Amino acid sequence: MNIKLKSLVKEYEMSVSVYNGFVKKRIKEMQAVLQIDEFTFEANKIYGLIGPNGAGKTTLLKIIAGLTKSSYGEVTYGGAELNDERQREITYASQRPYLLKDTVYNNIAYPLKLRKENKLRIKSKVGRIMAEFDIYYLRNQQAKNLSGGEAQKVALARALVFEPELLLLDEPTANIDPNFVELIENAILERSNKKEITVIIATHNVGQARRLCDEVIFIKAGKIVESGKAKEMILKPKEEETKKFLAFEYDIG
Amino acid sequence: MEYILNGMIEAFKLLLSGDRQLYSVIFLSIYVSFTSTLIATFLGVPLGFILGLKSFKYKNFVGRILYTCMSLPPVVVGLVVAIMISRRGPLGSLSLLFSTTGMIIAQTLLVTPIITGIIFNSSKERGQEVNDICKTLGGNKIDMLFLLIKELKVTMLVAIATGFGRAISEVGAVMIVGGNIRGHTRVMTTFIAMNHSMGNYSTSIAMGVVLLLISFITNSILYKYVMGEKK
Repeated sequence: MNIKLKSLVKEYEMSVSVYNGFVKKRIKEMQAVLQIDEFTFEANKIYGLIGPNGAGKTTLLKIIAGLTKSSYGEVTYGGAELNDERQREITYASQRPYLLKDTVYNNIAYPLKLRKENKLRIKSKVGRIMAEFDIYYLRNQQAKNLSGGEAQKVALARALVFEPELLLLDEPTANIDPNFVELIENAILERSNKKEITVIIATHNVGQARRLCDEVIFIKAGKIVESGKAKEMILKPKEEETKKFLAFEYDIG
Repeated sequence: MEYILNGMIEAFKLLLSGDRQLYSVIFLSIYVSFTSTLIATFLGVPLGFILGLKSFKYKNFVGRILYTCMSLPPVVVGLVVAIMISRRGPLGSLSLLFSTTGMIIAQTLLVTPIITGIIFNSSKERGQEVNDICKTLGGNKIDMLFLLIKELKVTMLVAIATGFGRAISEVGAVMIVGGNIRGHTRVMTTFIAMNHSMGNYSTSIAMGVVLLLISFITNSILYKYVMGEKK
């Protein structure tokens, strides 16, 4: 499904100190952390959101995921508003994964159990994805005993196991060893090639955006500065701010 | 020092002697505290979840009130309940003063804020996260509720055990509301206080041992669950 953003604004109440000549006062003020006039994420593509910390990447992902409400504007999914049925086809994997207080196996099986799939199918699907992510040996461990990287792999496996149509990933490989990053990236690419799935990845890693994504969007201070084909934009950015960011994050050479 | 040792020896003799009065006091104590904890659980657990998960305007203020109520002095609660249910009080016609029901009411008032407060605190912190994860994995509202209960199982156990611990060990409220009437409203804590002031140290110690034992058993069960989670 394609995702359309229209005049999207997210505001938060923040307290600001103001000096009026006599005293310093703290007042509460609405501040926009995200402002997007219009953007369409087309179906079956992989998008990369790049930009500095606090640019609004996570906020945007959470709004699309239906976890946070926008202050103004709207998001449409395949031309319609978000409903329960569509919500089931969307998943969001946070950069700090929350795993259930249960075994690794039960964590990955949980979305399938929610979909009332039968035990045999659950077993085979979970087994397959655990093998793919090289976490089969962890299956009976309690999730809370996992390391950061292991937890992230489990969270990703859990997000992919039910084959969602829209996959929102927030820094999916932030805690993962370099030698496993390729494995994760391949898992995402493979699904994108095989099935109709739209992926939006927020990442710091410009190299990763270049390897994985069809399109890249550069966000700064809540606004889209530039967007375009990944390979072109990363090598030849048009905007000054994008150039600066890319020069710092990714040595173009 | 010797009287303490003698007291201990006497205590164990007394415990094994099968004194009926002693056992009725223990039984009443457990009955009153268990019932009030049960009622407080049914009131406090849902209330804690609702207050913790909903966002409303004066949430922080409600939290502060709740935390204050968690440390209500039993004597004050006892006093208030006693005034309410005394013959001249607004609920006097029910004649609940110096009755088991009166004691249960007082202890329920003590325990409910404790259970509510503990559940409130952890559902406020973790509720959103659990709800989000359930939503992103395709769960509906009912799934969320089940998942939340599952994820906060240990917290709920801790809350209930803490509440029970409070109920069984407090003396102020049951003393004022129940009046420590022999064979009627005498419970372990009032029994200990009375026997101590009468100089019957061994009987006091004996009952103290029982009280500690109950506390130990409750906590062992709890500990087993909490550790079971950690394995």
